[in-house]
Amino acid sequence: MLKKAGIAITAMGAIAICLPGVASADATDDYPIPNRILKTTCTVDQYMAAVRDTDPVYYERYMTDYKNRPADVQQGARDRIYWFFSLDYAGRRQYSEDTATNIYYEQMATRWGNWAKLFFNNKGVAAHGTDVCTNYPPNDPTVWNW
Amino acid sequence: MKRTLVGIALVAAGLVFAAPAYADPDTDFANELHTYGIYGQKDYNAWIGKIACKRLNNGTDQDAFKSAQFVSMQLDKDSNTEQAWQFLGAALRTYCPDKLPVLAAAAR
Repeated sequence: MLKKAGIAITAMGAIAICLPGVASADATDDYPIPNRILKTTCTVDQYMAAVRDTDPVYYERYMTDYKNRPADVQQGARDRIYWFFSLDYAGRRQYSEDTATNIYYEQMATRWGNWAKLFFNNKGVAAHGTDVCTNYPPNDPTVWNW
Repeated sequence: MKRTLVGIALVAAGLVFAAPAYADPDTDFANELHTYGIYGQKDYNAWIGKIACKRLNNGTDQDAFKSAQFVSMQLDKDSNTEQAWQFLGAALRTYCPDKLPVLAAAAR
């Protein structure tokens, strides 16, 4: 009797261990891309102008990194993030899944590993920025010229 | 009220000269902030001071009021408006004295 129970417990334990393992390679609604970024209706310019005010040091560091890249990489990063923001929620969620399951999916990252750091890497920054981004103009070229 | 606050930002010039001369302006800046009861990470505060200067230089903030508002957003939630102006005054004196006229203009 004890033996049987032991086997059952062991078996259940094994199942419990297996299940999260299966899911771990997938994206979640908050990883690798924060939920706020998947759902925001702000433009790239609005979000960047907001972060410039809410997390100025984080923004400063991103822009310093950006400015140290060759012109074609800068252009590529800009084009790519505008493309991402042109997607709807489902499209962004799918992109999040694609980048989480295939490290070669995002070609931009082979040229500049932190190309989207301002947008994807920090949930706090994403939350602060998306909280107020609607208060900023939709088009503001100064956000890239820092 | 506004005038008084701007005045506060302008006042501390004497303090700076009285302090011993360090080679590191960030240390001077941190020390001055301490006299206003503004603490926190030295490097972080230095960044904010330098970025405040940059924003005045490139026109992101058009005047000292905008600038003080920016600083205020970066300070601890329990900081007051007076401290934001004191921070701004210290930042301009330390990192971009050429921008001090912006402060003087706001005081008029």
